[in-house]
Amino acid sequence: MAVMKTTRDIKGVGDPIPRADGREKVTGAVQYVADIQPRGLLHAKLLRSPHAHARIVRIDTSKAKALPGVRAVITAADMPQLKKKAPTRAHAVLAIDRVVFSGQPVAAVAADELAIAEEALDLIQVEYQVLPVAVDPLKSMQPGAPPVAEAGTEADTSEALAHSAVALASSETKPAKAVNISQQANVKRGDVAKGFAEAEHILEKTYRVPMVHQGYLEPHAVLAQWDTTGNLTLWASTQGSFNTRSEVADVLEIPENRIKVIPVECGGGFGGKIRALCEPITAELARVTNRPVRYVMTRREELEAGMPAPQVIIRLKTGVKRDGTLLALEAETILDTGAFSGTVLAVSAVFLGSMYKWPAFDIKGMEVLTHKPSVAAYRAPAAPQTIFAIESHMAQIARELGLDPVEFRMRHLIQEGDPMVNNQPWQSNGAKQVLAKVGEHPLWKGRKEWAASGGKDGRGLRGTGFALGGWLGGLQPTSATVRLNPDGSLNVLTGQVDIAGTNISLAQIAASAFGVDFDQVKITTGDTDTAPLTGLSAGSKTIYTVGSAVLQAAQDARRQTFEIAAKEMEASVHDLEIRDGKVIVKGAPDKSVTLASIGKKGNLYMSKIPPVLGTATPAFSQQAPGFAAQIARVEVDPDTGETTLHEFVVIQDVGKAINPLGVEGQMQGGAVQSLGIAMTEGLMFDDAGRLMNPSLLDYRKLTAADLPNIETIIVEVPSPSGPFGARGVGEPPIVPAPAAIANAVEDATGVRITELPVTPERIALGRVAKGNGGARPR
Amino acid sequence: MKKQILTCTVNDQAVEVLVPPYQTLLDALREDLGLTGPKEGCGTGDCGACTVHLDGKPVASCLMLAMQARGRAVRTIEGLAKTGTLHPLQDAFVRHGVPQCGFCIPGVLMAAAAVLAENPRPTEQEIRYGIAGNLCRCTGYTKMLTAIIEAAGAGAPARREG
Repeated sequence: MAVMKTTRDIKGVGDPIPRADGREKVTGAVQYVADIQPRGLLHAKLLRSPHAHARIVRIDTSKAKALPGVRAVITAADMPQLKKKAPTRAHAVLAIDRVVFSGQPVAAVAADELAIAEEALDLIQVEYQVLPVAVDPLKSMQPGAPPVAEAGTEADTSEALAHSAVALASSETKPAKAVNISQQANVKRGDVAKGFAEAEHILEKTYRVPMVHQGYLEPHAVLAQWDTTGNLTLWASTQGSFNTRSEVADVLEIPENRIKVIPVECGGGFGGKIRALCEPITAELARVTNRPVRYVMTRREELEAGMPAPQVIIRLKTGVKRDGTLLALEAETILDTGAFSGTVLAVSAVFLGSMYKWPAFDIKGMEVLTHKPSVAAYRAPAAPQTIFAIESHMAQIARELGLDPVEFRMRHLIQEGDPMVNNQPWQSNGAKQVLAKVGEHPLWKGRKEWAASGGKDGRGLRGTGFALGGWLGGLQPTSATVRLNPDGSLNVLTGQVDIAGTNISLAQIAASAFGVDFDQVKITTGDTDTAPLTGLSAGSKTIYTVGSAVLQAAQDARRQTFEIAAKEMEASVHDLEIRDGKVIVKGAPDKSVTLASIGKKGNLYMSKIPPVLGTATPAFSQQAPGFAAQIARVEVDPDTGETTLHEFVVIQDVGKAINPLGVEGQMQGGAVQSLGIAMTEGLMFDDAGRLMNPSLLDYRKLTAADLPNIETIIVEVPSPSGPFGARGVGEPPIVPAPAAIANAVEDATGVRITELPVTPERIALGRVAKGNGGARPR
Repeated sequence: MKKQILTCTVNDQAVEVLVPPYQTLLDALREDLGLTGPKEGCGTGDCGACTVHLDGKPVASCLMLAMQARGRAVRTIEGLAKTGTLHPLQDAFVRHGVPQCGFCIPGVLMAAAAVLAENPRPTEQEIRYGIAGNLCRCTGYTKMLTAIIEAAGAGAPARREG
C-alpha cells in the first residue's frame, strides 16, 4: 500500500526549500528593468543641480533640443501640474524656480541613444543664483537658517505609517519658529527631575550616525510607455506596485486605473524603493515623445541624489542606582531628513524609551530639513541608529557599575503587556528568549579567555560585545487569491513584490493550508491591473500580512473544494481531508474524489459545479515585534586601530521559520548591512552640501574579504496572529551591530566610540586621548 | 563618431558587431548582443556585477571598451554552463539558496568560476579574496562561501599521485 500523506507530512511550512526562481537567477536569465528593450526605446537622462541651494534664473534648452537624436527636453515650465509646495520628493519632479539639494533634477532629456542624451545635458544652459546653505542639522534648526522648504509645506509622515504603525499620542507636528524644523514630538512619563536627583550614576553621551545609502545593487530604473487611448504602463523596480501607482497618479493627476505598474524583478530595495522617485519624469518623457522611455540612475546619481537614511544625532542621559535600578531617561533625537520631510520620528522614541522599563522619561524628537538629498526608509528605519545609542549606553552603565551586561538588561527588559512610551502595550515577543541565548552562547561565555589571548604579535586588543534590538512589525491591508486548476494544481496570485525570497514561503503557506505539496503551488506576482490589491514589501510584514492573506485564501479554497466533494460523496464537510491529491472521507479512504476532477468540473462545458477560487482580503491591527541580538568578537590593532571581526552571531526570534533557508539568508544579509553601518559607511558632505564620496570606491560597502561567516541562531516564539506563528524577519537583523561593535571595541580597548562608523582613526585617536597609544591597558 | 567592427567570440560563438569607439564591452554585450546577464551596478568597476571572462580571466566589462575584446574570447554568465545543465557553481548556488535579489549573482559566479579555474582547491580565504571585487547587499556572503567551497570540492579533478 502506498504511504498516504497527511497534512503533517506535507512539504510546506518549515522546510528549507530553495526558491523557485533560483535557476533563473544563476543563469542570468531573469530580467530587470534595464534588461527590457522594447522597439523604439528612448533613453532618458536628468540634468541635476550642482548647487545645494540656488535660485534658477534662466534655463535655455534650445541647443539641446537642436541636437540630432534628441526627442524631448523638458523643464518644470512644461509641467503645469507641479507645485512649489511639493509635499513629497516624488512631487518635486523637476525644480521650479529653486533647487534645494545638490543633485536635484532641473531638466530631463529623452534621446535615441544614451550617449546623445548625455551630450544634450551639456548643451542645456542654466543660470543659477547661488544661495546660502543649511547643511549641518544643528545649524539648520536654528532660527534664521536658510529655509529649505517653501513656507507652509506639510510634514510627510506616511513613511512612519507604512513601516511601523506606531504613533505618538503627544506628537506635535506644527513647525516652531525655526523654519527648518518639520516635525516635533515629545513623550514623557513620571518625574524625571526626581529620578536624576535620586540617581547614584548619571551618564550623558551624544551619539552620531551619518546618512547611509541602502546600497541596493540595482540602481533605480523605470520604463514607461503610453498606449493610444491614454493608458500608462510602467515597468518599475519597486517594493510596492500599488503604492507606486498611487504616487504617480497623484503627481501626474491621472486616474489610478489608467496606470498599470508591472513590478519587474527588483534588484534590491531595502526601503529605498518604496517611494516613487524617477517614475513621474520618465512617464512624462514617454508622454511627450509618444515612445517607450527608459531611465536608469547611475551609481553616482544614486549616492548623490537617491533617498538615503537620515543622519541622526541622539543626546542621551540616564540616571540609575548603584545596584542598576533604572530611574530616569532623558533624550533628544535630531533626524536630518534632507530637503523633504519623511522620517520615522516615532520609532526612535519608542526604542529609546520602551526597550527597558524606565519609570521616568522625557524624550524629545525633531525632524530637521537641510539642503541635502531627502531621505527614505532603510530597513528598520531609525532603529539601528536609536539602538546604537541605547545599547551603547546600557553597556557603559553595566561596565561602570560592574554589573553583568546580560543580567542587567534582562532585569529591565520589557515583556508582553508592558507599556511602550506611547502607552500602547508591547505585543507578545521573544526579547527575553533572544537575550537569554546571548548569555548561553560560547562567544559570550568565553569572552574573558578571548580578551586575555594574545592576538597579533601578542599585542592585539581583543574584545567581545553584543547588543539587542528589534522592530515592531509593519501592518497594511492586503489580499490574495488561490485557484484550483483542472489538473488539481494551485495558482496563488498576489501583487506582492518578491524582494527577499518571500514567494517560496507564500507557496509553502498555501501548500500547508490547502493540503498539497509546495511543488503543486505556483505563485505569481501580478501587475496592478490583474493582481488583488497588495501592500508594500516593507516593514517586515510580507509573511505576516500577505502570508495571512494567502493562508486564508487557501483555507477558503479548501472549504469550497470540500463543499463540492461533500456533495459528490454524500458526506459531511467536517469528515473530509486532503491526501495525495484527493479529497477523502476520514476513516473511509476508499471513498475519494480527486482534486483534479473537482478542478476540471469548474471549467467543463455545461457543468453546474462552480470553479474554486479562494479569496482573502484581511486588514490587521495586531503587530508582532521581532527581536534580534548580535554578538561580535573583534581584534583591534594597537597601532592603527584597525578592527578585525573574527566571529559574528545573529540570534533572532522569527516566530516560526516558514522557510529556514530564506530566514537564514535574511539574518545574514541584514547582519552585514548592520555591520556596514557600524564599521565603514557614511555619506560625507562638504560645507556647500556636495557629496564628497559619490562612488562605491569612496563609499565603502563590506566585501567577502572583510567578514567572517555569519552564524545564525533561530529562536521561535510563536506570534499569536501570524501565519503558523510567523513574525517579520527582514528588519530586526539590521538593528544591533553598530552597538555590538562599539561595545566590543570598548571591551578590547577601553575606548568608547559614539560616532559611526567605528573607524580605525576614531579608535586610534580615542586611544591617544586616553594616553595609551601602545600596549593593551591591563 | 564612426562605428567600428568588433570581431571576437562570445560564449564560443563567433560574433561580428558594429560598435561606436566609445562603447564599453558591457554595453556591447547588453545592448547589441542581447546578453543582459552581466549587470551594470556602478559603471566604475567597484561592484563587480558586470564581471565576464576575457580569455578566461575575470574582467569588469564596464571598464573595458568593446574594441579591446577584438580577436579575443569573451564568456558571460549565459555561457558559463553547457546547454541544458548547470555549472557546479550554479547548481550549488541554487541548492544553498544563495540568490536573493539576484543582481550581483552573474558577476559573483563569473568571479568564482575564475578562482576555481586558476586554483581548483582554494582555501576559504582565497575564495573570499577572489570574490572581494563583487559587492552583494542581500546575502552577507556566508551562503555564497558555502556554495563555492562545496562546488570546488565537487567539481575539482581527482588528485593525481606522483
